[in-house]
Amino acid sequence: MSTPPNQQRREESAGLMEYSTESLVPFGPIHPALKEPEYFKLVLEGERIVNVIPRIGYVHRGLEKAAESRPWVQNMYMFERTCGICSFVHSLCYSQAVEELTMYQVPRRAKYIRTIIAEMERIHSHLLWVGLMGHWAGFDTLFMWVWNDREVVLDLVEAISGNRVHKSMNAFCGVRKDMPENMEDRIIERMKFLTDRARYYREVIDTEETMLKRTENIGRVSADTVEKLCAVGPMARYVGFKRDVRLNDPYAAYDEVPLDVITTTQGDVHALLRLRLDELVASANMVAYAVKNLPDGPIRVKIPPIIPAGEHSSHCEAPRGEIFYFVKSSGGRTPDRVKSRQPTMANLPTALELLKGQTLADIPIVLTAIDPCFGCMDRMSFYDTETNKRWTWSGEELRQYGINYYFPERAKKKSGIKKAIGPPTNQYPREEF
Amino acid sequence: MPRRRAGAAIPEMFRFMLEKPSTEAYPFKPIQLPERFRGKLDIDPAKCTGCQVCALVCPASVITMVDLGTRKVGDRELKVRRPLFDLSTCIFCGECVDNCAFNALELTKQFETATPNKADLLMNKAIVK
Repeated sequence: MSTPPNQQRREESAGLMEYSTESLVPFGPIHPALKEPEYFKLVLEGERIVNVIPRIGYVHRGLEKAAESRPWVQNMYMFERTCGICSFVHSLCYSQAVEELTMYQVPRRAKYIRTIIAEMERIHSHLLWVGLMGHWAGFDTLFMWVWNDREVVLDLVEAISGNRVHKSMNAFCGVRKDMPENMEDRIIERMKFLTDRARYYREVIDTEETMLKRTENIGRVSADTVEKLCAVGPMARYVGFKRDVRLNDPYAAYDEVPLDVITTTQGDVHALLRLRLDELVASANMVAYAVKNLPDGPIRVKIPPIIPAGEHSSHCEAPRGEIFYFVKSSGGRTPDRVKSRQPTMANLPTALELLKGQTLADIPIVLTAIDPCFGCMDRMSFYDTETNKRWTWSGEELRQYGINYYFPERAKKKSGIKKAIGPPTNQYPREEF
Repeated sequence: MPRRRAGAAIPEMFRFMLEKPSTEAYPFKPIQLPERFRGKLDIDPAKCTGCQVCALVCPASVITMVDLGTRKVGDRELKVRRPLFDLSTCIFCGECVDNCAFNALELTKQFETATPNKADLLMNKAIVK
C-alpha cells in the first residue's frame, strides 16, 4: 500500500528542512511598515524570527557637522528640526547645555512655560503613537478617534506658540513668547477632556478583542535584558525600572510640579499601551497644575551672541526617552562641537531583542511599539571591531570615499587624489542576497 | 477590571455617527487661525534702516543684503543696504521679527504660499521703490 499523499509531503518537507531551516528575508529600507527608511535583515525559521541584523544610516543628515559652522542661535532652530514630533525638547536640551556655559539664570516663569510646552508635546506624541498602534493592530477606528483628539492639544500648542509642530518657543535663558492671556480656563478644560479620553481609550484597549489579540504577550522582554541593553524612557519603565530624567535629574520646573512616574511590570506591547496612556493622564495633570501656579516675572534674559569657552552636557526626557546633548565652545560665535544622542538609538538593541521569537506579521506592531524615529538617530562614526580603533574622516576624505564607492573606475584613474585614512581604505563590499 | 468584554467601542461609534465631520471644509470656507499664527513674512520698507541684524540671525539663509549705492551723512559716505528675502527657504521661526529693532518685519497670517513660479517667493519690496 502506498503512503497517503499528505504524509508523503510531510516526509519530503521534513527531509528538506534538514539542510534549509533558516531563510534570510530583507525588510526595508523602504517598506509600508516603516515611516522612515531603515533596513533589517531578518533570519527566519518558518514564520518565526530567529535573528535580526539592523543597518542604520539611511537618513544621515550631517546635523552635528552643520552645527559647527552656524551661530549658536541658528543651531537652536536646526536642532529643533531633528524630529518632527518631539521638536521642542531638542531645542530645550540644546539650550540648557548652552545656558550652563553662560552665567545667566533662566527666569522661573520661563521654566514653567517650558514645562507646559514639553508636557503638551508629550501628550501629542503619545496620542500619535496610540493611533499608530491602533493602525498596525488592524483597528483603524481607534487611529481615527485618537488623532481627532490629538487636534485638541495641537490647537492649544498653536495658540501658545504660533505653530502646531515646530514651536520655536525656546530662546537662550528663557522663552520667546509669554502665555496668552485668558487661556488658563481653556487649557484646564481641554486637559480634563483629554484625561477623560485617555481613560476611555484605556478601557477600550483593555477589553477589545482586536487590540488584546495583537498586543498581549507580544514583544515580551525580561527586565535583565532591558538593564543590559540600556533602554531609556517608556521602554525601561514598562518592565518596572523607575527611570525618568524628570525624576532623577529635574530640569525646567519639574522639581516644583508634582510628577507621577508610571511603571508597569507586565513587559509586553499591551503594557506599553497602558503605560503611555497613563503617562498622558499624568502629563495632563502636570500641565493643569503648571498653568494654575504659573509664577509672575520676566520670561527671558537677553544674552550676548558669544558663548564663553567650556563644555557641558544636558539631558532631557523626550516622549520617547532620554535625549542627550553635548556642547563644546571655545568662546566664539559658533560651537566647536555639538553631539546629540536620540532615544531611538538607545532603544534599538532592545527592539531587536523584542523581535526575536515573534512572527513576521508582528514586525510592524513591535517596531512601532518602541516609538521609533530612525530619522532622528542617524549619526556617523568609524569603529573597527577587530582592532578596537576609532577614527574620524574629514570632508575631503568622505568625498573620496564616496567616489571610491560609487565609481571605482574613476577613482583608479585619478590616483593623485589623497586616499582616505584609516581602515578600510577601499570600498566596503555591497551587501547581497 | 473585566477583560475581553465586547462593545466598549460601540457607544463611541454611535456618538461619532451623530456628530458633524471633524475635518474642516477649508478651500470653501476660510480657516480660523490663532492670534499668534506665524505665516508669510512681510516688511515695511519705510521703517527698514538696513542694519542687517535680520540677515545675521536668520537660520535658513533667507535674507541677503543688497548694496544700493551710498548716501551722505554729514561728511561721511555710508553704504545703503536693504534686505532681499527668498521666502522659498523660510522656516517661519520669527527670529528676524524678534530681533528687528525698528519693527519693520512681521509674520502675517498668510499661509497659502504654494506657487508654480519660484520667483514669486522673492520679496524685493525693500529694494524696489
